[in-house]
Amino acid sequence: MDDMRYLEIDVTAQTNKMTARGVDVFYGDTHAIKAVDVDILDKTVTAFIGPSGCGKSTFLRCLNRMNDTIDICRVKGTILLDGEDIYDPKVDSVQLRAKVGMVFQKPNPFPKSIYDNVAYGPKIHGLTRNKAELDEVVETSLRRAAIWDEVKDRLQSPGTGLSGGQQQRLCIARAIATSPEVLLMDEPCSALDPIATAQVEELIDELRSQFSVVIVTHSMQQAARVSQRTAFFHLGNLVEYGETGQIFTAPKDPRTESYITGRIG
Amino acid sequence: MNTPRKGSLLVQDARTKRRNAAEARFKAYGLTAIAVGVLALIVLVTSILGNGLSAFRQTEIMLTVELPESKLDKSGTRDLDVMKKVTTLTYGPILAKGLKDVIAANGIEIEGLTAKDVDAMISKEASAQLRDRVLADPSLVGQTVEITVLASGRIDGYYKGRVSLASAELDSNVTPAQLRLADALKDKGILVTKLNPAFITAPDASDQRPEAAGLGVAILGSAYMMIVVLVLALPIGVAASIYLEEFAPKNRWTDLIEVNISNLAAVPSIVFGILGLAIFINFGGLRASAPIVGGLVLTLMTLPTIIISTRAALKSVPPSIRDAALGVGASKMQAVFHHVLPLAAPGILTGAIIGLAQALGETAPLLLIGMVAFVREYPAAYSAADGLFGEPSTALPVQVFNWTQRADPAFFERASGAIIVLLVFLLIMNAVAIILRRRFERRW
Ligand SMILES: Nc1ncnc2c1ncn2[C@@H]1O[C@H](COP(=O)(O)OP(=O)(O)OP(=O)(O)O)[C@@H](O)[C@H]1O
Ligand SMILES: [Mg+2]
Repeated sequence: MDDMRYLEIDVTAQTNKMTARGVDVFYGDTHAIKAVDVDILDKTVTAFIGPSGCGKSTFLRCLNRMNDTIDICRVKGTILLDGEDIYDPKVDSVQLRAKVGMVFQKPNPFPKSIYDNVAYGPKIHGLTRNKAELDEVVETSLRRAAIWDEVKDRLQSPGTGLSGGQQQRLCIARAIATSPEVLLMDEPCSALDPIATAQVEELIDELRSQFSVVIVTHSMQQAARVSQRTAFFHLGNLVEYGETGQIFTAPKDPRTESYITGRIG
Repeated sequence: MNTPRKGSLLVQDARTKRRNAAEARFKAYGLTAIAVGVLALIVLVTSILGNGLSAFRQTEIMLTVELPESKLDKSGTRDLDVMKKVTTLTYGPILAKGLKDVIAANGIEIEGLTAKDVDAMISKEASAQLRDRVLADPSLVGQTVEITVLASGRIDGYYKGRVSLASAELDSNVTPAQLRLADALKDKGILVTKLNPAFITAPDASDQRPEAAGLGVAILGSAYMMIVVLVLALPIGVAASIYLEEFAPKNRWTDLIEVNISNLAAVPSIVFGILGLAIFINFGGLRASAPIVGGLVLTLMTLPTIIISTRAALKSVPPSIRDAALGVGASKMQAVFHHVLPLAAPGILTGAIIGLAQALGETAPLLLIGMVAFVREYPAAYSAADGLFGEPSTALPVQVFNWTQRADPAFFERASGAIIVLLVFLLIMNAVAIILRRRFERRW
């Protein structure tokens, strides 16, 4: 099957970008993530799959401490980025999020112009020295997010006036404009048509040359197409984690097999 | 399994009919409620306008008077300090003579009126008007000048329908003969009823001279208090709400604070007056009746309103906006100030202006801190040692209360006029709120 064409890429030689050990997440009394160990490799696309409500988004949000914003949420265990514990009290979550960018499950552009949406990150991080550079960053980000052609004539019109799929690509452009080292994407394609999906997948594959990408998806085909490693979550447990080819062709756990063959979900 | 229902779409079944009837009834209730409200508003506005509009017009008499140097400036030096020693008692007869002259010059018969009766048609305030004019321009002494002076309150009332020939028979303050003389003067164009800017600018006047009473000091006092409220309540309220809503941890303490703020908003305003009396005047040593004290009390009263509405406005900003900002690495403060606050601004402004409008119309706490004081003159230009906000003053709603307490019915007209002014200020504030909201509201 042609969708599996990325599987041949050798990932064994790559280094760990992020390491999670014994991560538990609680929402009040709900135990949402149970003792999860995951290694996110550098310059690799990692897919999180699993039935709805199994904790994919929750775990993803642990990786850039977005869970800090939820009062009732508690995270236990260690998560390392380049060997440094991101939950260390000395770590400033703002600095962390500049390195670990995020695209959310629901498109959430700022109620500002398209240009300002993309330019906001570079501006607050002081990534550009002048307007021309900023313009360039905005353009390349929008191009890479496969939305440039649709919006190049109306950069000053509101980002919230775009269609759902366009908004999502705008959010992707906004996330990559700050050049993060790790990009977390929570179902980035759930609102996109097949053409835009293909473009985003192409983008993800391209991003892989610079960043690690973690993508949550409900589409097995997408996971198979874009990722080199896949993690299968079920009821808060990490059931199986390995090379995408192995997960889809020879799953070790019966739950993984039932899920990818469509029996649970 | 239910079987699908059959039947024509063109015929309404019983259930649909009931539902439609219920909807029609509900609409009728709503319409009735609105109609009652509108009716009440119309009655209110017409009665206030009917009673109060005449306060903006005043009857005046145009006189030509000689200003003899022998009486007004015996020294002949035109030295103000010397001239100030001449009281209004000296100016009174000059006006009386002026009126007598003008009556004679126009050949009007004075039947059954003593010189004193004729004199009484001029307001008691008039001699002060003349004195002020002379002191403002000492070179007038020795000349013959034209001056327009206030007619007495009863004469004024005659042209506003408050006094009639019949009621004058029973009134010890005015006689029908005086009214007939006034009519004769009016025919000659000497006595006119015209627009009265002094109602807005003049200070209050004593019980005997309603025709001279104005709202100047009250408006100034209210304006100063509003400035104090705006400068204190808006920043404090908004800062407190932002902290509570965006930064404070949610625990028992913040819950307690939240409950207390809601309770404070419901505390009767007079309680804030007692608090102000105890804290600012008795303990803080500030001067009673000063706008600064009134402003502080109203600030305390307005704060809960502003905090509650600001928090509601902040809450209504979707959390996904905060996530988006934090997600690209903005700090919490950046997320709040760059994204949340602009979206909440229209709501915050509306809340602040509602709070201000509430404060503008508040009377009870001001009575307690002595803002009911009778302020006969503009406070020494609000420039003295007490500072801009420290001089005794009064406020618009208190002035309304004050005037309605007085015996002369002319003050009732004044009170209605003051209500109109108050309502106009409220309308202006609401208009400003709407304009600001439009400007800040994102069009997407
Ligand atoms: N803010 C929250 N407060 C309380 N419980 C939450 C919260 N967010 C998620 N949960 C719970 O945590 C569990 C995992 O949710 P999560 O959103 O991570 O699922 P998911 O795998 O992303 O699902 P989906 O595929 O539908 O997005 C669910 O049982 C959910 O009810
Ligand atoms: Mg999710």
